[in-house]
Amino acid sequence: MDVSGKSPLKIEKLVKKYGNFTAVNEVSFEMKPGEIFGLLGPNGAGKTSIISCLVTLQEPTSGHCEIFGYDPKVNPEYTKVLTGFVPQELINHGFFSIEEILVFHSGFYQRWHNKERIHYLLKRLGLWEHKDKKVKALSGGMKRRLLIAKALVHEPKLLLLDEPTAGVDIELRASLWDFVQELSQDGMSILLTTHYLEEAESLCDRVGILQNGNLRTVGPTRELIEKLTERKVHVFFDGVCNEEISSPYLRNREDNQAEFVIPHGVGVGDLIADIQCNVHKILDIKIEEGSLEEAFVHVLGEHQ
Amino acid sequence: MTIAPKYRPFLTLYYREIRRFLKVLVQTIAAPIVSSSLYLLIFGVSLGGRINLESGLSYLAFLIPGLVMMSVLNNAFQNASSSVVSGKFGGDLEDWRTSPLTPRAILWALSFGGLTRGFIVGFITFMVGQIFYLNNHGSWLAVAHPGYLLIFLIIGGLSFSMFGVSVAFWSKTFDHLSAVGSFVILPLIYLGGVFFSLEGLHPFWQTLSKANPLLYFINGVRYGILGVSDVPVETSLIVSGGALIIFYFIALRILNTAEYTRW
Ligand SMILES: Nc1ncnc2c1ncn2[C@@H]1O[C@H](COP(=O)(O)OP(=O)(O)OP(=O)(O)O)[C@@H](O)[C@H]1O
Ligand SMILES: [Mg+2]
Repeated sequence: MDVSGKSPLKIEKLVKKYGNFTAVNEVSFEMKPGEIFGLLGPNGAGKTSIISCLVTLQEPTSGHCEIFGYDPKVNPEYTKVLTGFVPQELINHGFFSIEEILVFHSGFYQRWHNKERIHYLLKRLGLWEHKDKKVKALSGGMKRRLLIAKALVHEPKLLLLDEPTAGVDIELRASLWDFVQELSQDGMSILLTTHYLEEAESLCDRVGILQNGNLRTVGPTRELIEKLTERKVHVFFDGVCNEEISSPYLRNREDNQAEFVIPHGVGVGDLIADIQCNVHKILDIKIEEGSLEEAFVHVLGEHQ
Repeated sequence: MTIAPKYRPFLTLYYREIRRFLKVLVQTIAAPIVSSSLYLLIFGVSLGGRINLESGLSYLAFLIPGLVMMSVLNNAFQNASSSVVSGKFGGDLEDWRTSPLTPRAILWALSFGGLTRGFIVGFITFMVGQIFYLNNHGSWLAVAHPGYLLIFLIIGGLSFSMFGVSVAFWSKTFDHLSAVGSFVILPLIYLGGVFFSLEGLHPFWQTLSKANPLLYFINGVRYGILGVSDVPVETSLIVSGGALIIFYFIALRILNTAEYTRW
């Protein structure tokens, strides 16, 4: 199926209610081909509910979703082959070995004779030596990796990862994110949810922040951070500097250093010029950029 | 021969169903040998000697087709329903739902899975019956109409697999499932003429029995094996075929509207 150039995911005014409770409230956003998109938000924000609508596990109450131009409700036969899905909850198939599960899963996705791909994924995800075990004999992190292998057997064009690294140790998490990046470089579009904001910051091209079912903001990760956070500038002086510093941005002043917080848009040069300090007395300048976590906290705080 | 991609999900699930019951092979084969031997020994041999049927058949011969169909129906129901229920716990249902398997493909795959297991167990029951028959009559029991036999076994196996799928999707607990087993299926099978012939019954019970669809399933198989039955074979065929169609549409409706999320 040729999907080049089409938007991998488009959500318009999606609403999901459970009874009277609104879990997702008129959420709209669109993904760009090949990007890694982070859907962030505290527990219960509605991330899983959105993904469930995309994979037909839940029916939207109203609104519209499109995967490469196809509505999952109208053309599931297309959206399902195009999508790989890693659920948040661990599965526990009782009867079969890891390899058998992957063989069946390939078949469900219309692929027979898929050994090569299955073996590649088993090795890539560090499950090769466990391939003859049953699911219940795996640790939580291994089960998580099995879920990822399952989602990839049919080489989907859009990958939906609902907390793929929950319960995975640091080292493996890093290698999983490497893998995600590699998939993205091969042209796969990826939507992920995670509570590890530092990792989201380095990984995601764009993020959306959900709170109580409302999409509070969406945009390129760097831009959001710049817009929503401030930079910290530490100026270190050579020896004790007794000069009076008057600047609206000054936060903290000690004998041989000063700390400023400047909004984006104000340059560091402007700041230095502004404080009228003898440039020769400045030993060092350290700039701390804002983080996604700060932006996140800021966005959630705005709507308390 | 290559198989078109759109049939592969269905065939894969059917294959998985077979692999699933082969993993419990001993249970699949040993249980029916034990239970059908017990029935044949107690009813067929020990009580059967004292029962005379108007048709001139031995009670043992009368009993065998009913036991065969009972095995097929029970196993079809059990196989399909336990697959769905364990899938609810394990998360397989979610996998099926999010993959290109359609509700129709799921239904047919589970139904053929149940039918296959029903066939295997039905065949074993039949062979156990043959041994008892040989032992008592000195000859094998010949099959009168193999074509009819096959048709009724297929209809019965598919119907009860579909019934099992429906009940399992509807059930919220294992108790629901076993309640349907003991309050619906067991009485219907026992009162469907496995152990007795309509001809000996009071007219009231005859009328009531005729409202039981399983009477036609069982008598169809009896006609297939023995060449005689309480109900004309055409009637059996129409009623069982109609029942299959109804089971199919009910099951499909349930699969189309059911929740596939985990318990
Ligand atoms: N099947 C359901 N029935 C009723 N309420 C539900 C159901 N699923 C989710 N909810 C509610 O909807 C809200 C959103 O849940 P959802 O699972 O989408 O959140 P989430 O953002 O994925 O959270 P987490 O980070 O904890 O995974 C929550 O308040 C939850 O209690
Ligand atoms: Mg969630």
